[in-house]
Amino acid sequence: MKYIRKKINLENFTVRSIPKSVLTTDSDGKTVIDTSNPKYYYGTIPEYKIDKEGNFILNVFGQKILNTINVDLFLTHKFDDMGIFTDEPYTASTETLTNKPIGFNSFEYGRLAGAPVNFYYSPPNTVTGYTDDSLLKQVKSYRKINNKDVYVPNLNTSDNPQKTFNGVLEENGESTKYKIGANTNNIPNTGVEYTTFKNEYSQTTDEYGKNITYNTTSFKVLNSGWNNFNTSLSATTKKEEYLGVVFKPEVESVVFINRGIADIFERHAILSEIKTTNDIDTNRGGFIRI
Amino acid sequence: MATGNYGTIRPADVSVEDVEIFYSYTPNRESITSVELFPLDPSQVLIPASDPNNVSEIFGGLYTLKLPTTVFGTKGFYNIIIRPKQIRTTIQDCSVLIDNQDVKGIVFDINQIPLEFQNRFENGNLVGYRVEYLKEQSGTGQDKIQNLFRIITSNNRALPVTQSQGNSNASVAYTFNNNSTSVFCTVSPSSAPAIKPNAVPFIGNPQQDVIITNTFFDPVMLEIEMVEFDDETLAYALFSNQTKSLEDGIYTIYNFGNQIYRQYNLYEVKDQFTGKPLYEVREQKFTIDPTKDFDDITNF
Repeated sequence: MKYIRKKINLENFTVRSIPKSVLTTDSDGKTVIDTSNPKYYYGTIPEYKIDKEGNFILNVFGQKILNTINVDLFLTHKFDDMGIFTDEPYTASTETLTNKPIGFNSFEYGRLAGAPVNFYYSPPNTVTGYTDDSLLKQVKSYRKINNKDVYVPNLNTSDNPQKTFNGVLEENGESTKYKIGANTNNIPNTGVEYTTFKNEYSQTTDEYGKNITYNTTSFKVLNSGWNNFNTSLSATTKKEEYLGVVFKPEVESVVFINRGIADIFERHAILSEIKTTNDIDTNRGGFIRI
Repeated sequence: MATGNYGTIRPADVSVEDVEIFYSYTPNRESITSVELFPLDPSQVLIPASDPNNVSEIFGGLYTLKLPTTVFGTKGFYNIIIRPKQIRTTIQDCSVLIDNQDVKGIVFDINQIPLEFQNRFENGNLVGYRVEYLKEQSGTGQDKIQNLFRIITSNNRALPVTQSQGNSNASVAYTFNNNSTSVFCTVSPSSAPAIKPNAVPFIGNPQQDVIITNTFFDPVMLEIEMVEFDDETLAYALFSNQTKSLEDGIYTIYNFGNQIYRQYNLYEVKDQFTGKPLYEVREQKFTIDPTKDFDDITNF
C-alpha cells in the first residue's frame, strides 16, 4: 500500500471577504457587521461555494456547488504474470448458436455460450504498406536480356506451382506488380501483392549504419484478421506448477576472499578475537592465517 | 501455449464503482482513542481525470479526491484509505472438474451476490480477484483468517454432476455450463508446492464466508494534516499590507488580496495611580471591525 502525506491549509478555504450587504449601523451610529445576515461567512468554510458577495455559485443546472478540498493523487496498478497457461481444445457442450447477436464483439462479450468459432472472426481486413524489393528476385525469369532481369507476366516461379502462385501480374516501364504465396485457384484474393516502382527509391541504414538503397515497394494483402486459419476455441488451463518460475533456482555460496594483511594491527586484532582453542577452529569459517 | 513471466506497474484506470474509501479523524497525534473509520461514497468524492486529447477516455492514474469541507474542514489529521471494492459472499461448494479431477475450485452462487456485482461473476471476469476467508465460527475473536488469501485464476459458470462411486455413493464434480447459476473458480495456489508435496493448500470450505476483492489498483493511504497556518499565512504578517488605527488602536493585517486576515487591539496598561505605563498589549480582536477595509482606508 502506498502512503501519501499532505498538509493542507484551511485558510485557503476560509472566507475573508465582508460583503457591503452584511454591514449595518448600530445604535451608536457605528458601522458593524450583521452576523445574522445569511450572506455573512467571514472566518468560516462554507458548505457550498460562494462568491465575494456571499451569493451561492451555481452550476449549469442551477444547483449549488459543494465546497470541496481537492487532492490529486495517482493510482497505480502493479501486477505480475499469474503463471503459464496452456490451451486445451474442447467441444462446446451447449447448443450451437446460429445467429450472431446484434453488435456482437468478442472483445466486449468475451466467451459467449454456444457460439461457434466463426462468431469470433473479424470482417476481412486489407493491410497495406511499404517494404524493400528483396522479394522481386523471386519472380524474375531465368533468362536475361542485355544482362538485365526479365519479368514475364503470369510466369509461376513457385516451387509448388500446382498449389502456389509466385509470379508477376503486370510489368510496365514504371513498376512491376507481383504476387507471393497466392493460391493458384484464387490468385486475385490470396497472397501478398507487391508493386516495385522502378524509378522510386527508398533509403535506410543497416545495423552497422551503412546506407541501403532499394526500389520502393508497396504491398497489399486482403482478407487478413481473425479467421478460420488463425482462430480456434480452446479452454485456457493454468499450469500452476510453473507459477512464478522464471529460471531454475541458484544456490549462492559464500565467496572466500583472502585479503592478505591490510593493516599492521590486523594480526593483533585477529588474535584478540580468539579467546579459546575452539575459536581457532571456528574463527573466520575455520580459516585462520596469521 | 503462452509461456514467460512478466510484471509491470501501470497507471490504474479503475472504475469508481470498484473503489471503496474510508476516513478517520484525530485532532492531534497524541489522541489515545482507537481509530474509527467512516465510509465515503467514491462516486461523490473520487473523480477520474479525462484524457485531454480524447475527452471520453479516462486519462489513467490521475484521480481527484474532492473532500467535502463539511467533513474535512477541521484542523487535525485525516487518514483516508482508498482500496479496491470488497464483495462478501458464501462459498456454495468446493469440488473438482468432472473431466479434470485434479483441478480443484470453489463454487459461488450468483444469486447470492448483490445485484450490482453479479456481472463480475460472469465467465472470466473474476480472474485476478483476491479471496480472503472468514472463520466458519464467527464470534470467536477475530472473524477474519489473517494472512491468508488466494487469487482467482479462472471462473466459469458450472453445473454439478455426479459420478457413481462404490456400492451406494456418488461423488459430485462440476462441468462447465453457461446456463448454470453456479460459478466454479479455480484459485492459486490450489495444488501442493513442490517443496512440500503432502501439503494441501486451503482454498475454502462449503458455506464459508469469504471476501472477494478486485486487484485493479494498489491501495493507497493518505494522511492529510489540516492546518491553519503555512508559509503563505506567515508571509501575511511579514509582507502584506497592514493598518494601525490611531483613533481606536485597531491593528489590522490583510492577506495578499487586501481582505482582513487578523485584527488586534493595541493598548497600554498604566498604573492606575501614577499613570506610569506598565505594558503595551496586542490582543486579538475576534469581532471584526469592517470599517478597516484596506481599499476604503487608502481610497483618498
